[in-house]
Amino acid sequence: MAKRTLPRLLQTPAVVLLLIWMLVPLSMTLYFSFIRYVLVNFRKPEWATPSLSNWRGFGNYKYVLEAKDFWMAIQNSVLIVSSILVLTVILGLLIAVLINRTFPGRGIVRVLLISPFFVMPAVNAVLWINMILDPVLGLNGLAVSGLNELVAGLRDFPVIGGFFAMWPELHPISFRATQTSAYAVIMMVTWQWTPFAVLIFMTSLQSEDESQKEAAMLDGASAWSQFINLTVPHLARPIAIVVMIQSIFHLSLYAEIEIVSRGNGNKNLPYLIGEFTSNNIGAASATGIFAVILANIVAIFLLRMVGKSLMD
Amino acid sequence: MAAVAQTSKLGKVLWPVLAWTIALIFFFPIFWLVFTSFKTDADAVKPEYLFFFTPTLENYTNMTENYDYWRFAVNSVITSTFATGFALIVGVPAAYAMAFDPSRHTKDILVWMLSTKMLPAAAVLYPMTFLTKNLLGLFDTHFLVIMVLCLINLPIVIWMLFTYFKEIPKDIIEAGKMDGVSTWGEIKDILIPLAWGGIASTALLTFIFCWNEAYWTVRLTTIDAATLSKLIEGNRAPEGLFFGRLSAVSTAAIGPIVVLGWFCQKQLVQGLTFGAVK
Repeated sequence: MAKRTLPRLLQTPAVVLLLIWMLVPLSMTLYFSFIRYVLVNFRKPEWATPSLSNWRGFGNYKYVLEAKDFWMAIQNSVLIVSSILVLTVILGLLIAVLINRTFPGRGIVRVLLISPFFVMPAVNAVLWINMILDPVLGLNGLAVSGLNELVAGLRDFPVIGGFFAMWPELHPISFRATQTSAYAVIMMVTWQWTPFAVLIFMTSLQSEDESQKEAAMLDGASAWSQFINLTVPHLARPIAIVVMIQSIFHLSLYAEIEIVSRGNGNKNLPYLIGEFTSNNIGAASATGIFAVILANIVAIFLLRMVGKSLMD
Repeated sequence: MAAVAQTSKLGKVLWPVLAWTIALIFFFPIFWLVFTSFKTDADAVKPEYLFFFTPTLENYTNMTENYDYWRFAVNSVITSTFATGFALIVGVPAAYAMAFDPSRHTKDILVWMLSTKMLPAAAVLYPMTFLTKNLLGLFDTHFLVIMVLCLINLPIVIWMLFTYFKEIPKDIIEAGKMDGVSTWGEIKDILIPLAWGGIASTALLTFIFCWNEAYWTVRLTTIDAATLSKLIEGNRAPEGLFFGRLSAVSTAAIGPIVVLGWFCQKQLVQGLTFGAVK
């Protein structure tokens, strides 16, 4: 008996802590999602304190489902997360294959490549949106105006001037607008997480069976068919890992959205919840429950996919 | 090494050039951040000083005045260190039990733990604020930040430790049992020395995650326990035009962790794959 009790005892603190951490706030969210709970409301001040007498049933859920923002936030969440996943996996694969050879300075290349992964999200966002993507002061703006000046200068030349006269004046894209700021977020997060994908794929490539590859080469398989038929299947598991870990992090993406698109309408679910939380706690909680459901769907899918292989 | 032999002469030159180009592109934003931090605010937005300017340390020397940098930095160090420490104290025994004495439920517990990590933090934002502000009075305290950082990283800590511990032959631990070594003795004298590398990389990765955490540290603090994430996120709006000083404080915020990451990148990857990629 004692043999079984001890291991359980050792796990208890971790399990209990995580249970409390999960259950207490979540059950409060669940409770708040069924009552009217509005922090500041002059007509109904009684709504400002949580109480069962303010029961609203599924009213908050209905309210959220009917809100235009909610669907936009879902759409944006899906757009942002899936774009990042696709981009990081593709870029990660290409770069991993590229640097999985010996060449001068490989160590330094690795160090340079991995660096973005360690940058804190807040700095990442501030750096990209201001110094790189700003349409006037950032490199984006400077590059476009430089190009415009160059074209303007070339117009004065004989012969080729006529050609350049046809060029329109370029305008830098502003990444703070509603339609474009999601792309700014995708860009900066992809920049940060591609290195992570590269490192994981590289680790996996190094364990690839070289003899198989050589056999394929002797059979006259092209580099491309080797890549598709041998390398890609070998990378199935690391790809699953990259997708899983990134989903965990990106579903709750917040700092980047907050910094890039504060108030411009581009929001994901966590951001929408944050907005509701400033006043309408009932709606915030209902949105929170929707976010939990969405995360669970993704989680079940991903853990099924990866969980098994992790245990072997 | 047939692959190398097959590569043409052109490939031999092109390949490294391509690799270097991509690496430099990826590093460029960081370089630009550090580069800009040596310009004055006025120079930083003038195209004529884009590449050539008189470097100055002004932004760094004024960092304390402009941003109160050190207060936030000290908070980041304190909270990240203690959170990492606690997570290990709770995580090592748990992972030890799961790896060497698994029960039928071990797998389910592990998967459940990881699933808590997937719960969107925003869903419980208000309850957390409500609890810590109105009921517990912990809002904006180091204790709260440490606990939250510890808890959000605990699942990953246990997973990583579990995968490292699984690699250790069971016989070694069993031999200790035969000799009548206590459980504590097993952990202290056998497990920790054997798994030292794994524990260290778990600690490093946890520390990095704690340092970079930007949801709870921003939302559950105001001043007293605010970390560097809060400093950067909180101050950005009016600072849009002050590229010089913004770059300096950003560089100072990410510097320690980027350098730490450089030194331990290899160990970090191994841990992050949860042992699924060898």
